[in-house]
Amino acid sequence: MIDYNALTDDAFRAGLRVFFEANYPRHLRFLPRRMRWHECRDWYLALSKKGWLAPHWPPEHGGMGLTPGKLIIYFEETERAGIGRMPDQGLTMVGPTIIRFGNDAQRRKFLPPIIAGEHVWCQGYSEPNAGSDLASLQTSAVLEGDEFVINGSKIWTSMAHDATHIYVLVRTDRQAKKQEGISFVLVDMKTPGITVRPIRNIAGHEEFCQVFFDNVRTPRANLVGELNAGWTIAKGLLGFERLNIGSPRRPLQALEQIEVLARARQLGDNPAFVERLTELKLDLADLGSLYARYVDKVRRGEALGPDVSMLKIWATETYQRLSELLIEAAGEYGAFEGEIPVGDASVDILSPFYTSRPGTIYGGSNEIQRNILAKYVLKLPG
Amino acid sequence: MTNFAHPSEHAALLAESVADFVRRGTTVARARTLREAGAECDRAQWRGLAQLGWLGVLVPERFGGMGLGITEAAIVAEGLARGLVPEPFTATAVLAVSILVGADNEAFMAEKLPQIVTGKLLPAVAWQERAGELDPGATDAVAVAFEGGFRLNGVKHFIAGAVDADAFLVSARHAGDLALFWVPRDSAGARLTQQRLADGRSSGTLGLTDVMVAREGMIASPAVARAALAQALDRAAVVVGAELVGVMGRALELSLDYMRTRVQFGKPIGSFQALQHRAVDLYLQQELATAVLAEAVHALDGGLDGAPRAALASRTKARASEAALRITREAIQLHGAIGFTDDCDVGLYTKRALVLSAWLGNATAHRRRYARIAAQPGGAHD
Repeated sequence: MIDYNALTDDAFRAGLRVFFEANYPRHLRFLPRRMRWHECRDWYLALSKKGWLAPHWPPEHGGMGLTPGKLIIYFEETERAGIGRMPDQGLTMVGPTIIRFGNDAQRRKFLPPIIAGEHVWCQGYSEPNAGSDLASLQTSAVLEGDEFVINGSKIWTSMAHDATHIYVLVRTDRQAKKQEGISFVLVDMKTPGITVRPIRNIAGHEEFCQVFFDNVRTPRANLVGELNAGWTIAKGLLGFERLNIGSPRRPLQALEQIEVLARARQLGDNPAFVERLTELKLDLADLGSLYARYVDKVRRGEALGPDVSMLKIWATETYQRLSELLIEAAGEYGAFEGEIPVGDASVDILSPFYTSRPGTIYGGSNEIQRNILAKYVLKLPG
Repeated sequence: MTNFAHPSEHAALLAESVADFVRRGTTVARARTLREAGAECDRAQWRGLAQLGWLGVLVPERFGGMGLGITEAAIVAEGLARGLVPEPFTATAVLAVSILVGADNEAFMAEKLPQIVTGKLLPAVAWQERAGELDPGATDAVAVAFEGGFRLNGVKHFIAGAVDADAFLVSARHAGDLALFWVPRDSAGARLTQQRLADGRSSGTLGLTDVMVAREGMIASPAVARAALAQALDRAAVVVGAELVGVMGRALELSLDYMRTRVQFGKPIGSFQALQHRAVDLYLQQELATAVLAEAVHALDGGLDGAPRAALASRTKARASEAALRITREAIQLHGAIGFTDDCDVGLYTKRALVLSAWLGNATAHRRRYARIAAQPGGAHD
C-alpha cells in the first residue's frame, strides 16, 4: 500500500494532476450541475481502481488516509481539473458513519460495495413537515419480527433517482421526547413500497427528489447503532456533513471561473474588481485554514463538536459571495443563461449562483447553525 | 485560550504563566494609569518579563535566550495583549531581535542580545518611511561610508516602542542596496519626536541628520539586510496577529458576559436572536483569525520562506486586523451606552485594536501585498 502522506506535497500534487488530466472525461469538466450516476460511473470506477476514491477514509477500509494538508491538495487538484460532484453520499456520509457507529457485519456488508461502485447512497432526512426542525420527523418504523416496516415520506433527497440505497431517520418511539425516539436505518431502494418522484430545482435540474415509503420492509440488522439512538448518530453525521459542506472545493471552483472570466475581460486593470477579488480570495484561503483545523481533528479521531457549524456558515456564504462577484464581473453577460464564450474558454455565469443557493439552506439552514453556535458554543441564554 | 498552538503541555504551561503574569499586576488598571502618564513601559514590569525569559524567547540559547519559536512568541504576545499590557514586547523581543538574529554581525549579536534578554537594553526598529509601504527596500534614508564608519541621513516614521528605546535599528540605502545600522538614542544628529496613539502609547518619528555610526554599528550588510528585515517584518506581522487575537478574544468575552447578565424587557439580552446571530458572526471572525494564525506560526516555525511566507504573514495580519476592529467596534454596540464610556473596558480594547491594526500594515495594505504576491507564478501557494 502506498503511503501518500510520505510523498512531498509537490510530488503528490503532480501525481494527481497527471492522472486527473489523463483520465477525467473532457466533456464532464466544469459541469454546471451535479453529475448523474450514469455519467460518472466510469470515472468513479477509475478512481476506485487507482485507490483514490476515498481520500479521507482510513486505508484499512480502502481509503487513502490523507493528512489534512494532502487532503486539501487533493481537493485543489480536483477543482483545477474541473471534476464534478458525483453522487457521493456513500463516500462522504454513510461510509464514515458506518466506520464510526456501525458494527463489523455492517462494515463488511456495506463498505466494500461503496468503494466498488456497486452501492450508490442517498440521504433520507428532511420531510415535507420537518425541515429546519428535523427532530419533528414523522416517517415511522415499526418492528415486526426481524424487520422494520417503514411508512412516510422524505423530501429534498439528492440523487435519490440514482441511488441503490438510502439511509433514513425514522421514528421508532412515538412516546419519547422527539429527539429520543429516532433511529438510523439502512434501506435497499429496490425494496417494494418505495416510490421516487424527482423535483425540478431553480436551475432547471432534477437533482433532488421526494421518496415515498409504503410498508417498506428492511432487516433489523440494518439498524446502525442502538434503537432510538439515531439522533445522536445523525448529529455525528451532521458533523461530517458540515465538514464536507465546509470544504473549500466548491468555492474554489467558482474562483476558477472568475479567474477565467477576468483574464478574458482583462479585469486585472480594474482596481475595484481586483480589491473585491482579493478580499474573497482571502476569505477562501482563510476558509482553508479553518477547514484544516477540523480535518486535523477528524484525523486525530476526535468527535466534531457543535463549533463545526461555523465552518459550514463560512464556506457556504463565501461560495455565494464568489458567485455574486462572477455575475458582477460579467457585466451584461451576468444574466445570460448557459455557457458564454470568453476568450478561448467558456463560462457558465449563473451556474455557481444557482448551485451556491442550497448550501445555506440544507444540512440545517445557516440560521439554525447560528442558533446552535449561540446556544452550545457561546453559551448564550435561551 | 491559545487554540492556535498545536496542543501540548508545554504550550499550555506557557499560556498559563502568561495569564498568571497578567493577573499578578499588569492588569487593565495599570494600562489606564500608564495611559494617563503618557507612558508605555514600566521598567520594573519589563524586568519581570525578562526574568520569565520571554524577552529572549526568540534569542538563541548561546546568547542567553530561550531559543524558542514564533509559536511561543505568539503565545506570550496573545496573553499580554489580553491583559492590555502596554510594554513593547513585539516591537523589541520579536521585531528587533529577529533582525539581529537574522543579520550577519556575530560580534554585535554576542554583545547586544544578552543585554536585550535581561531587559537592560531596549531597542526599537526604525524602518518605515511612508504609510502603507510594506516593502522593506523602499527607503530614502542613506548611509554613506565616511572615515571608518557611516554617515546616516533620513526620516523614519511609525516606530513602535520608541518612547523607551535605548537605541534604534535603522534601515538605509547603502552601496546600491539596503543595510541596517545601530543608532543609540543619544547619537548626535538623531532627533526623536512622538505622537500619541489611540491607546495612550506613542508612535515615534526619528530624524537623522548626519548621524555618525561606527563601522561595527552596521548590524546587517547589504548581503543579508533585506532578507533579514523582510523575515523580521513577516514574523512581527504574525505575532501582532496573535496580539490582535488576544485583544478580540477578550473583547468578545466581555461582550458575551454582558449579554448573559444584562436584563432588558425582562430577559437577558443574550437571549435575543438578533444579538445571538451577531455574536456568532463575531465569534466566527475570531476563529478564522485564530485558524490562520495557527497555520502561520506552524509554517514559520517549520521554516517557510520567501513569497509563501510573505503571503501567509499578510493573510494573518489582514484577517486579524479586520476581525479585531470589527469585534471591538461591535463590542461597543453590544454594550449599549455604557460601551461608549471611558469607564468601560471595551473602549480600551477597541483602541488597542486600532493601534495594532494600523501598525506594520493594516488589512488593506496586507490584502494588496497578498494580491501582488498571488499574481506572481506560484506565489501564494501556502
